[in-house]
Amino acid sequence: MDIIISFLGFFVSLIVGILQFLIPNFDGDVVNRSWQYLFFEGMRFTLLLTLLATVLGIALGTVIALMRLSGIAPLVWFATGYTTLFRSLPLVLVIFWFYFLLPYIGAWAWGMDRPMTVGAFNSALVTFTLFEAAYFAEIMRAGIQSIPKGQAAAGHALGLNYRQVMTTIVLPQAFRNMLPVLLTQTIVLFQDTSLVYVLALTDFLGAASKVAQRDGRLVEMYLFAAVIYFIVSFSLSLLVKRLQDRVAIIR
Amino acid sequence: MPMIEIKNVSKAYGAFKVLTNCTTSVDKGDVVVVCGPSGSGKSTLIKTVNGLEPFQSGDIVVDGISLSDSKTNLSKLRSRVGMVFQNFELFPHLSIMDNLCLSQQKVLGRDRAASEAKGKALLERVGLSAQAVKFPGQLSGGQQQRVAIARALAMDPICMLFDEPTSALDPEMVNEVLDVMVALAKEGMTMMVVTHEMGFARKVADRVIFMDRGEIVEDATKDDFFGKPRSERAQTFLSKILQH
Amino acid sequence: MNYNWNWGIYWQQSPEGTGTYAMLLLSGLQWTIITALCAWVIALAIGSTVGVMRTLPSKWANRFAGAWIELFRNIPILVQLFLWFFVLPELLPKTMGTALKQLPNAPFYIAVVGLGFATSARVAVQVAAGVKSLPRGQTMAGYALGLSTAQTYQHVLLPMAFRIVLPPLTSEFLNLIKNTSVALTIGLLELTFRARTMQEYSFQVFEAFTAATVLYLILNVLVVFGARALERSVAVPGYMGGGK
Repeated sequence: MDIIISFLGFFVSLIVGILQFLIPNFDGDVVNRSWQYLFFEGMRFTLLLTLLATVLGIALGTVIALMRLSGIAPLVWFATGYTTLFRSLPLVLVIFWFYFLLPYIGAWAWGMDRPMTVGAFNSALVTFTLFEAAYFAEIMRAGIQSIPKGQAAAGHALGLNYRQVMTTIVLPQAFRNMLPVLLTQTIVLFQDTSLVYVLALTDFLGAASKVAQRDGRLVEMYLFAAVIYFIVSFSLSLLVKRLQDRVAIIR
Repeated sequence: MPMIEIKNVSKAYGAFKVLTNCTTSVDKGDVVVVCGPSGSGKSTLIKTVNGLEPFQSGDIVVDGISLSDSKTNLSKLRSRVGMVFQNFELFPHLSIMDNLCLSQQKVLGRDRAASEAKGKALLERVGLSAQAVKFPGQLSGGQQQRVAIARALAMDPICMLFDEPTSALDPEMVNEVLDVMVALAKEGMTMMVVTHEMGFARKVADRVIFMDRGEIVEDATKDDFFGKPRSERAQTFLSKILQH
Repeated sequence: MNYNWNWGIYWQQSPEGTGTYAMLLLSGLQWTIITALCAWVIALAIGSTVGVMRTLPSKWANRFAGAWIELFRNIPILVQLFLWFFVLPELLPKTMGTALKQLPNAPFYIAVVGLGFATSARVAVQVAAGVKSLPRGQTMAGYALGLSTAQTYQHVLLPMAFRIVLPPLTSEFLNLIKNTSVALTIGLLELTFRARTMQEYSFQVFEAFTAATVLYLILNVLVVFGARALERSVAVPGYMGGGK
């Protein structure tokens, strides 16, 4: 753990040094004082939200994709409506929707007579899971449809039922085929989490913003935040590209 | 002075040698056919003549203008050398008339009226006057290739290069294109034609060049080539091709 | 559930004194549309240029375009807007910085520039993909006729490339419309902001956000239909379902 802290600290000093060199009047001290808060509070929140929303979103998205491809009219309608709705709305609006509506929905669902307290993190988690699930659903749908029908037919011929064919034959292949696209969507999710700013949550940007406003150093904090977001996103996208190249070779 | 001179041209992609020491020439009014198995470099060779493919060593001189000279205006040179491609390469978003007028207006600076007049005359020459307002996607392959020939002729070129002009055509359309090319040859156009159509070669070629693996293996007059080819590779190639 | 439904809330006067809540929401919609359109103009102009640079043979142009795309793709839009709104005025010379901060409707101009630049990277990716999807022969045919690189791009490549990428560009425009909501953080009075304002004043959460949702959906449908009409009107006859 200490190794991580030292490495991060060195890394931050490097960035501050470069920024100080490039930007006149850049006072790197505020970054040096606050980076631990930024990373261990803010980035922790961002990564936690990203990870949970990704896992839950892909799970839900896969279910929705299966509904869409099921051929059963009400399921198809629901799945199509779901994906179309969430993909047509701005994420900010959806964030507000769930933030204000979840307490009422919770109260209605659990038969309470006063709005349930949900908490901002939970509200954000529900929001991002449901929102990104619509995008993951479209990706998984493309993945499932790309698996030749012969695969499922072979499974059925061997006596496997629908659930078994899906979980052991089709979905694993679909998932592996779409992995690069799923990871790219995860990177998008990572960047989207910054929008919890509108709920005044302390994600990485939120933390940077709080320090910026408290110390009156917006330039330094926002530039530093931008650099960190860039490094993380860019590195992840390079990894995805490397993964895609290796998959291409195998084919 | 020959119209086209290819002097010791070599081209390589890294370690892979595409052309090795190719030397030949085409006199004014001559029709030279280039043939050979696929991968022999014949398409690449013909594309070096108008600079579409760069080469590493040697020189090419077209009508006295050297391609390796850095002062050469490549665009101007290309406007004087007509090229017809295997896949026609008409511009799909432009009507046939617009296809014919585009380079006349943009490169030669002719006004629209003069360009259209020229275009109309050429369409008549290739037998496609009725297609002026249509779009390439609405024409058959043979029709598109004839338009492509007209498009190249609209620039009043001093010579014409053909890169396997009939290879992408259905058999029944090959003749309509070859007829246009034969007529062109008889009018005295200097032509360099990469093709498998030996019937065409026998009819109008003055010389035949045989290429194999990036080298010019044989370069003879038509009669010599078909009568008594000197190299074994050319003989094998001919025997395979002329069975039809 | 302890919620007072009041669908008539739209016709009540908003405390801001500027009219009914309905008018408040519609004014937000107006700002959303205008911001999106202005930003789109910038995104198209810059994005097309960068996209073309990505496809040019010049290494320098390629690297610059690649860097541009990666820069704007890997920073969240919210962070980009903050950089334009909070950081840029501080980095400019004192007089320009102050002028920028005192500009009336500063959020609008910053949002337009910020969203325009952010979206330009995505437009660039699409335009580059469109150009690269064209057969190499098209470029060669352009050059063979003597067209310069600029002329070939202008008259041959880009007209087809844009037609090909109309569908993904439409998606990007829809994304841009959604992203205008992010600018509420810098004070742009767009639709989501106005819905939030309405909710704050009236406590009619459901009604406020439903209206915004419906308006975004309608906007979506209109753009999709408009795009389809555009695709039909520019379709090339006989090419890719353009119809004979």
